[in-house]
Parts: sequence; structure tokens; C-alpha cells
Amino acid sequence: MRTIAMVLAAVVLSAAASSATAQQRAAPRDTTTKRLSYPVPPAARLVAITNATIMTAAKGTIPKGTIVIRDGKIAAVGADVAVPAGAQVIDGNGKFVIPGIVDAHSHSAAEAINEGTQSITAQVRMEDVLRQDALGLYRELAGGVTTLNILHGSANTIGGQNATVKVRWGLPADSLLFEGAPPGIKFALGENVRQTNRTVLPGQERRYPRTRMGVEELLRDAFTRAQEYRRDWQAYDRARKSAKKGQAPVPPKRDLQLDALVEVLEGKRLVHCHSYRADEILMMLQVAKDFGFRVASFQHVLEGYKVADEIAAAGSGASTFADNWAYKLEAWDAIPHNATLMAERGVRVSINSDSDERARRLYQEAAKAMHYGGASEEEALKMITLHPAWQLGIDKRVGSIEVGKDADLAIFNGHPFAPASRVEMTLIDGRVFFDRNTAPTLEYLMELIRQQQGPRQVTEVVP
Amino acid sequence: MTTPRMRIAECGVLMAIGLAALPLLAQSGPQSAPASTVVIRNATIVPVTSARIQNGTIVLRNGRIEAVGANVNAPSGATVIDGTGLFVYPGMIDAGTQLGLTEIGSVPGGEDTQEIGDFNPHNVAVTAVNPHSELIPVTRVNGVTTAITSAEGGLISGQAGLIDLMGWTPTDMAVRRQAAMVVNYPSLGGGGFGGGGGRFGGGDQSDAERRAELDRRTRALRSYFADAKAYADVKARAANGGARKLNQAMEAMIPVIRGEMPVIFDVTTADQIRGVLALADTFKLKVVLRGAREAWRLADTLAMRRIPVIVGPTTSVPGAEDPYDMTYANPGVLARAGVKIAFQTSDAANSRNLPYNAALAVAYGLDADAALRALTINAAEMFGVADRIGSLEPGKVANVVVTTGDPMDVRSVVRHLFIRGQPVPLDDRHTRLYEQFRARPRS
Repeated sequence: MRTIAMVLAAVVLSAAASSATAQQRAAPRDTTTKRLSYPVPPAARLVAITNATIMTAAKGTIPKGTIVIRDGKIAAVGADVAVPAGAQVIDGNGKFVIPGIVDAHSHSAAEAINEGTQSITAQVRMEDVLRQDALGLYRELAGGVTTLNILHGSANTIGGQNATVKVRWGLPADSLLFEGAPPGIKFALGENVRQTNRTVLPGQERRYPRTRMGVEELLRDAFTRAQEYRRDWQAYDRARKSAKKGQAPVPPKRDLQLDALVEVLEGKRLVHCHSYRADEILMMLQVAKDFGFRVASFQHVLEGYKVADEIAAAGSGASTFADNWAYKLEAWDAIPHNATLMAERGVRVSINSDSDERARRLYQEAAKAMHYGGASEEEALKMITLHPAWQLGIDKRVGSIEVGKDADLAIFNGHPFAPASRVEMTLIDGRVFFDRNTAPTLEYLMELIRQQQGPRQVTEVVP
Repeated sequence: MTTPRMRIAECGVLMAIGLAALPLLAQSGPQSAPASTVVIRNATIVPVTSARIQNGTIVLRNGRIEAVGANVNAPSGATVIDGTGLFVYPGMIDAGTQLGLTEIGSVPGGEDTQEIGDFNPHNVAVTAVNPHSELIPVTRVNGVTTAITSAEGGLISGQAGLIDLMGWTPTDMAVRRQAAMVVNYPSLGGGGFGGGGGRFGGGDQSDAERRAELDRRTRALRSYFADAKAYADVKARAANGGARKLNQAMEAMIPVIRGEMPVIFDVTTADQIRGVLALADTFKLKVVLRGAREAWRLADTLAMRRIPVIVGPTTSVPGAEDPYDMTYANPGVLARAGVKIAFQTSDAANSRNLPYNAALAVAYGLDADAALRALTINAAEMFGVADRIGSLEPGKVANVVVTTGDPMDVRSVVRHLFIRGQPVPLDDRHTRLYEQFRARPRS
């Protein structure tokens, strides 16, 4: 298979170089090599998407409207918006435009997921392991996804620092980072951090904690240490200010792990907490309350519907699967009505992927909130746009189609929740990062093989 | 939409009417109790094998479809359902699941999905199907009434059963207890999710080692079929007509070797498919390909040879060198070439997403009507039960789904469900938990 795939890849490359049809498609086409050197279409300064159905996720749906994009921002949106002179026009006739999809739980661009050696690894950073050529990113673009929350894995009670990124596929890795997004950190509770589902080899030691009580103790211990550490630094700062010349105090020892936790205590770093069962969600809320911070989002939170009032009262968001369940014991009470039930109780809910696969079709996942529990169309749309943006603290920038926001948009060939719909184009900052017309589709690959090897070779093997 | 509470209430009434007649009607044998008659009127009826009927009526009696059409008179004494604004479809068939054989993935005690050893043709999945699995009601309330269920792994995983998703016992559920042999065709590994099977080797194996292992396993599979053929030949020539059963595994292979029992080959790549075709030529097998996300490479060949393909899950990620839409677009390419396709989820807990798998294929080029056939009648044809299930035709088993719209549209909701003519309550573990916690007093 490998050989054949390589041959096909070679066909793609050689045909792209020789054929005229291929020429215009050459840029983002190759999905196998040289990704770094392939140019992404330059950003047009002025773009207009005309005559489209615009689902704003904030102010309803405009049946036939225009979006004007200037320097990557939405400059105008509405039914009676004129196309400015000189704008690059994208004909939206028959198309549906939604805000670029925000996936609040992803590992797509990460070269590594878990620093699983200890149960507290607040010092490690996902932004250090991002790769811009992760193919999952391209497939997600092709599913209308524009922003990802790249999280550390769930092996640890307190995992690493997450990276909020825009799916600027093809640009250098540094360009992925979402400028100005608040920093965050991954927490995890339950079976994964207890490591009760894994096979322990002979001679291998079990890691603390093994119970949900131990998880709580670990959290309290870590934040108590962080409080102490913070007091030491505050005392040092005071002493330094009042110190006489030549008598500068000795600073406390710098601790990168506790630095991150102090930021949590000070509300400068958002906590995204992997969780399943109601009891552990309540435990986390209590710990957060006792230490004076807010959990920005509970991730998975499959039993969130049991304690929705408590989550809502704490001002935490909930980022859940549409219908995943039964894959482990703590997912046994998961119900697909989770998202709508929590939303009914006042929780801001997002639907995430936690998967390179599901991320490609989050629009279909969002529609399940309508199927199970009867969420409104706009609420379902918000669950993959505005609500996850709010959970990540970037809702002033993305998540809805409003003037002043980043022009991150997904254009569908039909209603995004309809069965025959697919993404035709995805824009980030007004720049077209995915266009199905120039994308490496199966149809196009078959056409290339036809051109190269003759029509019978496409579907080959006549024995 | 109505609340689930209302739906459950409606179903409670229907349950009361229908429960008495559970002994299942597709099985031969006497019916122990008269089933009630149900009439659905004023609905858009989509028989699948013929044109859709606006304002149509369908009559279900004694577990069968008695009549379908625009001008059908409702028999007196029937339970009447007003289908205004609703759509009637045949129950959908998931042609690849582990339903009944698994419950909670991480709890080994409930898993009957993988046997030890490479060759288990004698293992019959229906034997271990738990009719009371919580996964089953969750699946059927989305309109999936029937499933192929089987173990996986090894080279010959065992015999798949075709089951309706309701019944007191595994035997009740079986439409065909021994519907097909499942073969996990060897691959080089790394084929990703979706029936690529026969994988082996870890990351520390060299390419040459992996190739050698693939060759070894391919030869082992081929020689097993050769043994089975020899066994069948010897038995056929035996003086006593081969009546003595000497080897359970070989006995199980006889219908396969005779070309009577379909063989589902779980494959991913074009190379594997070529291997399957060669094997089929040697042993004259009745082949059904499954998974097969590179089947587009051989679409014309498969059409010409009339080899059906169970595609999916479309919700699998293509290989690193593949076009981004390959798993979505593959079904459309096959169908346009004339290959008979059906769909599988290769799942259990979310077998309910079968129609949404098909929706992705429709979005990427599969004709919507072809998709409906692939979800219903085609699978029935592949396993020889198209005279009983897979469409809304008089005389067929009444596996009937009444929905608010296209079942491939996630927004559609099932309003009434009948399996073998029995009204099926639309509640499950999920609706029960939903109702329970929806009623939690606000704190």
C-alpha cells in the first residue's frame, strides 16, 4: 500500500507540474511533501462575500446578505451592504456562511500530548510542540474549523499549558498561535489520572494518586504550595522596595510549575478541566472556590447534566462530546442530551472533538444538540462557535459574524446542518486557507490518474 | 417538537397494545398471539424500492407490511397513527457492528468481541449477543432496526449474525444466525481505523520484517482455505456422505467453501482488495468487502465482478497520503461505477450514527437515493434476506421507522418505531437519565 500511495503521490506532483488544470491548483494541493514551501494565497485587503445566507451566531440569520472584510476584520455585514470598489468578490449565492468553527478541545497540531511522568506538570507548554504541517489541521480547515484549543493530555491531575491556535495551515508554526489569547492550563480528573485503565507491567510502579480522593488532595496540596510561593514572592517584592541600598533581599527560588499555578490563582490563566463524573466536577468546583479561582471550562464533563446548576452558578463553561459514551465506566452515564440539558440550566456549552476525526465534522456534531433535547438552531451553532470562543476568552475576537471581529468564516454549499452540505471555503483573518475548488480532492486525484495513465487505470485491474 | 416525555407516553400506549405478540414473526413457526394492526396515514412513504408516496398509507398486520400506497383502506379496528408531516422509511441496517457483544469498552468482563487465536470460523456471534444490552435501544431509536454483528480480530474472526434490534433471546433477534463469515484480511499495518484489520507488529519492526510477516499471514490464510476445501472434498466423497463431524472449525468452513455463505472481508487498501479477489478466484468465494476505503481504485473491477462493498465508517481518517475527502467520497465513486454498497459504523455504542455516516457520503458525491438504498435494501440483498427486510413492500417484515424528515438529517427525529410489527418504545438509557435529571429541582 505504501508503494502505491507513494506512486500516487508522485503522480500528483508530476501532474501538478505539467498539466494546465493542475497549475492553478498547485499551491495547497500536495499533501505529502514540501508543505513548508507551498505558498498560502496572500491575504486580500478587501474581500466581499455576496448574496449568501449568513448565520451570524450572535444576531440571527441574514437570508441574503453581504460580508465585507477589510484587512482581515469584518468591516460590514448585512442585507443592504454595498460591495466596495476594488473588493475581491466571493459569490455566496446559494451558500451559507457561519463563523469559523472553534474547537475547544484538540490535540491536532501537537507533536506530543502527555508529559505523563508525574501527576503535576504545570510547567510544560503545548506551544513548544506545535507543528504547522500536521495533516489533521488541513482536514479540519476543510471542515470549517478555524480555531483550536490545543490541550495537554489527560494523564495528569494538573497537565501542561495549552495553546490556542488559528488553523493557519502552511504558514510557519509560530503563525499558528492566536495572538492575545489568554493563557490556559489542562487539569484532569477521574480514570485517566488514576491510571486505572492501563496495564501495569511487572516491576512498574503505580503512580499516585489512584483514587478520586487522592486527586483532590493533590490539587489542594499543589495550590497550597502555590499560595505559599506567591506569599514568598510578595514578601520579597515588599522587602526589595523597602530595602536600603546594597542590602537587596535574596529572591525565592523560581519554580516554573508554581509560576503557572500562581497565574491560575490570580485569574490570569484559564483552567480547562477534563472531567466525567458529577462527584469529581463538584469536587473541582469546591477546590476552585476554596482557592479563589474559576474553572473556565469543564472538558468532556459527560455527567455535567447532573450538576448543571452548580456549574452554571460557578460561571464555568462546559465543553462536551455530542454523543460519545460507553467507552469506559465513567462514560457510562453519558447522554447525548448533555449539551442541551446543561444549556437549559444556564451553562455556556460547547461541543468539541478531542479528535482529528470528529473535528472535521463538528457542524454535524452540533446538529445533534437539536436532535437530542431540541436545542434551537442558533444555540446549536453557538456550541461550535461563540460559546467555545467565550470559554477560551477570545469571544471578542472570534465566534460570531459581527463587525470588528476577525474574518474567520466557513462557507458551506448548503445549510451547515443539512445532510448533503459540505464546506466549500474556509477563511482566517479574511484569507482563504481552504478552497475546495483548488483542494486535493479524491475526484481531482482520479482526474490526475486518468490524465497520466489513461481512463482505465483509474479504477484499474481488469483481470 | 414534542418532549421526550410525550413520546414516551405515546409509546407506553403502543407498548400495551403490542407487547403480547413478542414471539417473533420473521422466524418460522406459529404465532402465539394475534398482533394488533397498525395503520399510518397521511404520511410521506419512502418504500426505497419504488417511488415515494405522498399522503400515503401503510398497514402493518401480524408483524408484516400488509399494504402500502396512496389509496389503501384502513382496516377497521386498527390503531391509527396520523402521519401528517411525517415520513415513513424501512428500518436501517448497520452492516458492521459489535452490538450485543460489548457494553462498556474498558470493562473486559463485558467484552466478547475478540477470541484468542487466528482462526475461529466456528465461533457464532449470535451465541453471545446480549439482547438486554443498553446499547441496543439507544441504537434502534434512531431508526437502525437491524445489524450485522460480529467479533473481530485474528484472521478468521467468526460468523456474523444478522439481528433485529429487539427480542427476548438471541434466537428471537436473529434474522440470520449465521449470516456471513468474517475474515480480517492481513495488511501491512498502520492502515488506521476502519476495518483495515489483520494488523500486527509494533513500531520496532522494520519494513522488511513487516512485509515478511504480511506474507506469512497471507499464506496462512490461503492455506487455511485450502485445508477447508480439502476437508469439504473429502467429506463429500466419504462413504457415509460426510455425516460425521470431525472438526468444528472445518465444518464451519464448508458453507464458505461451497460458496453458500457470504464472506465479509474486512480490508482497507487496494492491495488487500486485490489479495481478496485472488483468494476468491481460487476458492470460488461469495465475497463482500467491508471498510475498503481504497475500493475506488478498483471500482470498475468490483462493479464488473458484482462484488458488493460495505463502506465506512465514513467517519474514519484517511491515510497520510490520501485526499482529505477520500473516506467521504469513496462510496459515491463506487455507487456511480455500479457497485452495490451498504454502510457500516464498525461501532456499537454509536451504531445509531449510521445514517449520519451516509450523510457525509452524500455531501461528497453519493446520490441521496442511492444512499437510502445503501442504508436499507442493499445490505438485505448482500445477506440474502431482501425478500424479508430492507424496504416497505407488502409481505415484508414490518421494520418501519416514522420520522420528522430524512433520517440522514441529524435534525430529524424518530416519532414511531416498529420492529417486526411491534411498536417499540422510544426510550432508552439516555432518555431515562435525561428525564430523571431534567426533573432535578433547581438549586
